[in-house]
Amino acid sequence: MAEKSLPLAPAAEPAYRSQKSLKIFSGILRYLLIILLCCIALAPFILAFLGTFKTDLEINAFPPKLFPEVWHWENWSKAWNTDIGQGGTFPRWLFNTAFLSVIIAVAQVIFGSMAAYSFSRLKFPGRDIVFNFMLGTMMIPGAVTLIPAYVLITKLHLINTFWALILPGLVGAGSIFMLTQFFKAIPVDLEEAAVIDGATHMQIFTKVILPLARPALLTVLILQFQGMWNAFLQPLLYLNSPDKYVLNVALSIFQQQYKAQWNLTLVGAMFNAIPVLILFFIFSKYYIEGVAYAGIKG
Amino acid sequence: MQTISKSNEKSGMLISLLVFVFVVVILLIIALLNAPTMVGPKVMATVKTYLAEVKATAIPFMIAVGVIAVILAYFIAREIRKTYPNKRQFNELIAGYTFLAPYLLVTLTFTIGVILFALYISFTDYDIFTRPTWVGLANYAKAFEGFSDATKRDFLQALYNVFWYSLLVVPIQTGLAILLAVLVNSITSLKQFFRTIFYAPSVTSSVVITMIFMWLYLKDGYINYALQSILGWFGVNFAKVNWLGDPRGLIQLIVEAFGGNIPSSQWYLRGPSIAWMAIMVQNIFTTVPTFMIMFLAALQDINPALYEAAKIDGANNWHVFHKITLPMLKPITSLVVILGTIGTLQVFDQVFLATKGGPLKTSLTPVFLIFQEAMGTSGPINMGYASALAFILAIIIFILTFFQRRTLESGTEMY
Repeated sequence: MAEKSLPLAPAAEPAYRSQKSLKIFSGILRYLLIILLCCIALAPFILAFLGTFKTDLEINAFPPKLFPEVWHWENWSKAWNTDIGQGGTFPRWLFNTAFLSVIIAVAQVIFGSMAAYSFSRLKFPGRDIVFNFMLGTMMIPGAVTLIPAYVLITKLHLINTFWALILPGLVGAGSIFMLTQFFKAIPVDLEEAAVIDGATHMQIFTKVILPLARPALLTVLILQFQGMWNAFLQPLLYLNSPDKYVLNVALSIFQQQYKAQWNLTLVGAMFNAIPVLILFFIFSKYYIEGVAYAGIKG
Repeated sequence: MQTISKSNEKSGMLISLLVFVFVVVILLIIALLNAPTMVGPKVMATVKTYLAEVKATAIPFMIAVGVIAVILAYFIAREIRKTYPNKRQFNELIAGYTFLAPYLLVTLTFTIGVILFALYISFTDYDIFTRPTWVGLANYAKAFEGFSDATKRDFLQALYNVFWYSLLVVPIQTGLAILLAVLVNSITSLKQFFRTIFYAPSVTSSVVITMIFMWLYLKDGYINYALQSILGWFGVNFAKVNWLGDPRGLIQLIVEAFGGNIPSSQWYLRGPSIAWMAIMVQNIFTTVPTFMIMFLAALQDINPALYEAAKIDGANNWHVFHKITLPMLKPITSLVVILGTIGTLQVFDQVFLATKGGPLKTSLTPVFLIFQEAMGTSGPINMGYASALAFILAIIIFILTFFQRRTLESGTEMY
């Protein structure tokens, strides 16, 4: 936006020279301020990352040093190979978390886009009632459904199975709402040809709408993946044997077991953070669009 | 011709009847799953034992849901019969609900069904392993017992804590997010790059962030070290603080600085504790970038002509920010404030990991209390009471967000 306004700025006249240098100065100041704030934003992560290479003694020392005396890479393999019993290891937890996140993200996209197609393209009695009902359920705080959902999961004999998280997470109002807004933005005339050719709704949905909505699907996929990866309360309630833990729950147990060895806990935190950070830097456009979109349309 | 329409009418009738039965059966199954019964191993051994238990304890619940199910199914069946003669409309109706079926099943089971269950349970004494016994409003009354008996103040203390939490966190995080967004928006190049860098820490889980901050907040940690060295440059001697374990309240500290004293019986005057504020700082740290992204997106939507017009009129930067940017950001600000309020009133992760509600209950939160009561981590399992607390919290959230919406969104229509 700022670039566009540049041509309108008055051409460099002598009287403006001091003003111009002031402008450059304030520009530099802005960049410096932003870089400083970036450093503050990243500092906890950088400190934690450096901390993973320290010895038990170094990490508890005061005053703390920035860099480790010797880089103890073995902390990483030590944490990776630590078994807290009953099959609880980081490779296992990493797998559990990734597995659940992928399943739920894919399910949310499939069932969410189906519902969104119905809301945005089909006309039938009761549609708007169901849609408003869905918006209403989005306002219900999670705390209300927490306990009864736990009882229901217990009744279904699903405690300590992945189904406890997958079944309620198959589809959600959030992703349906987002996809409905995206689908509504796709021009209807694109599918009119298909309608004339006598295509069924299933065909229009899979052959016309889904390919056109690919960026939206990817955004929802990523947001849901991240949502499950970062979930804590539900996995804490439902999964209670070490071989079933997800990373978040495991990390909290791990920290309690190795209270004095913050270097190992920080390695665990890195195992948890690095996969999502890598994904974020690859797909940052979709992440940021997803958040921004949620803001504008929400 | 006559026979066709007659058979048509007949099959329409048949289909609507089938749909009626189908809807009632599905809803009754969902109700059966969410029937308020005990969940001991004996009851859950087979479907038969469970049904016997439902029969023994949950008949009123099943009848109530059954009536709703029949009414709902009747309206749906009537709609089916009405549209059946029109093939195209009928196809669209069937397709519409088929596409919605997964969502409807999940939400009816895991949202509506469970809420009905929770509502019933909140009026009972229920510990999962024995039959729920009706106690009326006792659970709701128990939540507010703290008004008369300070030793039973857990829920009031939790509400007090989260009110402080929202009161401090929401304005600060919203303000910082706006300032950061305006700052990042004001530079010409590398905007995307900095946006990505700022947002990166926020994609990691609250557990990771809490772990890292717990470590930074240690008595021998970086935060004490940083404060000690920075204040040291100014010749101030800073005594290390046990950040996550210090129960002294903000107002208490101010009063004590003037030589006053607030006794523990007047806990509600002490303000948020140091431990609680330490968690607030950590929370602000992670939410600011997320909200900044929302504000940045909104800033890019502002018509640049507005700024140019202001420039020609000779407005200074503060005027532009105050008279153009802020009003244009009003809708998104109201959303951020509402989302922030909903989020802060339900804090859990940080409390569970870092402080467990302590020190001296100064970081107790409603959701943490609900978790404790429901799981029996500090005393007997008390699901009825926990459900009552959840509903009280939900009502508070509804009321607060309703009024926020009213005040914040008034006047936004004009933009």
